Amino acid sequence: MNNSARESILGSIRTHLAASPAMDVKERQAPSEIPVSNSDPINRFKESVESVAAHCIVTTDVTDSLNQIITDLKAERIAHSDNPPNAHDIFHFDVGISTVQAAIAETGTLVLDSACERHRLVSLVPPVHIAIVNASAIVETLGDALTLLQKKEISPAITFITGPSRTADIELTLAIGVHGPQQLYVIVDESK
Amino acid sequence: MNHLSSETFKENAKAALADVQLRGALKNATSLFGERRKEAAASLPNWEDLRSQARAIKDEVLLHLDRYLEEFVRNAESRGATVHWARDAAEANTIICGLAIERAARIVVKSKSMTTEETHLNDALEAAGMQVVETDLGEYIIQLADEPPSHIIAPAIHKTRQQIGQLFTAELGMPPTDNVDQMTSTARAKLRDRFAAADVGISGVNFAIAETGTIVIVENEGNIRLTTSLPRLHIAMMGIEKVIPRFADLDVFLKLLPRSGTGQRLTTYQSFITGTKRASTDEGPEEVHIVLLDNGRSRMLAHPVTRQSLACIRCGACLNACPVYQQVGGHAYGSVYPGPIGAVITPQLMGIQKAAQLPYASSLCGACREVCPVKIDIPRLLLHLRGEISPRKGSVAERLAFKMWARVMTSPSLYKLSSVAGRMLQRVMPISRAWTNGRDLRSVESKSFHDLWSNE
Amino acid sequence: MWTSIGVSSVEVLRRVGCEVEFDKRQTCCAQPAFNTGYLDEARLVARRFISIFEESKADAIVSPSGSCTAMVHHYTQLFAGDSKWLPRAQAIASKTHELSSFLVRVLKKEDVGASWNGRLTWHDACHGLRDLNIKSEPRTLIRNVRGAEFVELEHADSCCGFGGTFSVKYPEISVAILDQKIDAIERAGVQAVVSGDASCLMQIGGRLSRKGSKVRVMHLAELLNESSQQ
Repeated sequence: MNNSARESILGSIRTHLAASPAMDVKERQAPSEIPVSNSDPINRFKESVESVAAHCIVTTDVTDSLNQIITDLKAERIAHSDNPPNAHDIFHFDVGISTVQAAIAETGTLVLDSACERHRLVSLVPPVHIAIVNASAIVETLGDALTLLQKKEISPAITFITGPSRTADIELTLAIGVHGPQQLYVIVDESK
Repeated sequence: MNHLSSETFKENAKAALADVQLRGALKNATSLFGERRKEAAASLPNWEDLRSQARAIKDEVLLHLDRYLEEFVRNAESRGATVHWARDAAEANTIICGLAIERAARIVVKSKSMTTEETHLNDALEAAGMQVVETDLGEYIIQLADEPPSHIIAPAIHKTRQQIGQLFTAELGMPPTDNVDQMTSTARAKLRDRFAAADVGISGVNFAIAETGTIVIVENEGNIRLTTSLPRLHIAMMGIEKVIPRFADLDVFLKLLPRSGTGQRLTTYQSFITGTKRASTDEGPEEVHIVLLDNGRSRMLAHPVTRQSLACIRCGACLNACPVYQQVGGHAYGSVYPGPIGAVITPQLMGIQKAAQLPYASSLCGACREVCPVKIDIPRLLLHLRGEISPRKGSVAERLAFKMWARVMTSPSLYKLSSVAGRMLQRVMPISRAWTNGRDLRSVESKSFHDLWSNE
Repeated sequence: MWTSIGVSSVEVLRRVGCEVEFDKRQTCCAQPAFNTGYLDEARLVARRFISIFEESKADAIVSPSGSCTAMVHHYTQLFAGDSKWLPRAQAIASKTHELSSFLVRVLKKEDVGASWNGRLTWHDACHGLRDLNIKSEPRTLIRNVRGAEFVELEHADSCCGFGGTFSVKYPEISVAILDQKIDAIERAGVQAVVSGDASCLMQIGGRLSRKGSKVRVMHLAELLNESSQQ
């Protein structure tokens, strides 16, 4: 399909590159290491999560923490990623609960791998998202997370989540909760 | 939409300078973005290294763009994506409209994409009978107002909250308010049902990874995730220069882009989309189509100075740093791409005839080069473009003046004569009104430095 | 056009022990043509600059202008690919210095014995700052001027809006940018603004005078040449 456009564009690229005077391409330097802080990654993760206006609970009893949150929110319709509602119904749910496959301490980021569970809409549509992550799945840096993701074939859809949805499009005034969730709770499961 | 033209930049700028509200909004926005960027950059001790690495990666890709594009396409297609090649804007629009029509689509939701603005895709889709809804809040606002974007990152930055409130009341029936949270909730509610009803979702692409065939899109609002996961058809449009070689390279770019654009460590969401879903029962679109757009980009590869234009990651930092942009804003440039980067890519993409003023609308201060995460030497590019334009398109008077100037400057006797003449003229003639409208001239000196030296 | 800059530069350099010569055949560094896109004309004038200064046996070429100095450094761009002129351009560029950079980095002189009473501030001219990395040197020299109270200007490193032909091609934008600088100067409550480039001083001085301001503009060389005898 579109073979003539493809050949034309590739041809144009080759022709124009060939016409270009030679240029030194600088050697790729090895990335410089930033020393990682000595403090506990779970603590660091918690601080990072809280710095982006999300809640973080570190616990050995996930069920208890979940119930606490749901009670506080007085939420009624709860969607679970292991058995999510369909794409129409999900718009009427109050809370979406999903696990996440990894998390990044330096930024407070959650890593959701769609090959592992059906959480694309559960973590996006309801106004509250509760994410559960194993303490052992917390990595230090963004680079570590990228490396982790390449240990197997990249899944069709991977999402990084850092805090609740936000915008500053109106007079650069921060508004939390636009199209995605307005509230994000992260439960760190220390039990394993 | 009443687009201003690049060809009337000077008049556009004058009008913008007279708009007190606009200037206030620009001052606030650019200084806030600028401060945040500065703090974010300072928080990373290896910031300069990151810039060098990013530039090196981009240089590598651009030098072998054909190879990396082919690798990207191969990998994306092997994972189920369909890739289309578009030589120009018209071809891109035809492809996308064709896809929508074939699937009997009626409602199209869009997330922010500069390339789709460049090709005027919305107009084409609407002409083909689709309802097109911009879902990025800033883009939604300007769509309602029927205006072009004024900033790469914050398209509605030229509007005050009062103006937006009035717009929402008039167009959406919102009860009058200038409360930002209420306006945001109104937009959220209105757009929810568009997302649910949409047949097609169209997005841009921040990075396309050759090694894995992945497209990466970053955002804060969540509309990109909705656009790319709800409708059955997802179409992503990208300029051919968006390719980067390896998945691991994202580390460098994801550190630079959010910090440079908004001062954030990371935007709220990054979506990494590789082909289509594995099982039909999985979540996500049935089809993922990627449109590769050339539209003049391949031509820029021909010279190292112009090639660096293609390294741009569309962060907007140069706009915020530019003293000219800070005063006149984005609309004056008459282009989808305003500010310093706009001044260099608009003439190259649209043709020099359409945008000949833009490369001269700069004091060459270099602030843009300082903040560019991929170290594009914009002043050098501006000078390169001026070197292309002036000898051919400079006014006859100007070309002659510089020829004379060169003659005088290479002849000591003419030079001496001219400085005497110059000093005499200054006394009797009002020098260019352009200077004296706002500024006084220094009083004329009776002796030149050359004269004084002779008397030593 | 501004003879006291040249005169002051010579006197300051002599005072710190340099032997100064001035080749009267010199005309221009070619910046106006280069910046406006007339590269052929720029090359004509640049070749003359190079030829004249090649004849000198001086150890250094010093200019009281960051933008002229930067222009000479840009000769390598102007003569890129020219096997005859490029090495000559490089040789001249490597010995060309801006005044404050020459005093502090090369001569290691941070105090030239100047004195001037009053409150003053410094404007970073763009080419000097961004092309030549001149930032701390003028501040060091100014801080050693006896009697001078130095205040840092808000956004000292923002452009004044001159930009060569930009100032007359887009005068309204040029003045709008300039007014930001003027506001900052007025807020700083100083008696003088000092800078290293005559073009910035003309731009800033021209607006200050139009607004009836008592703030004067001074070139760094003029300041450094001030003494308690005056």
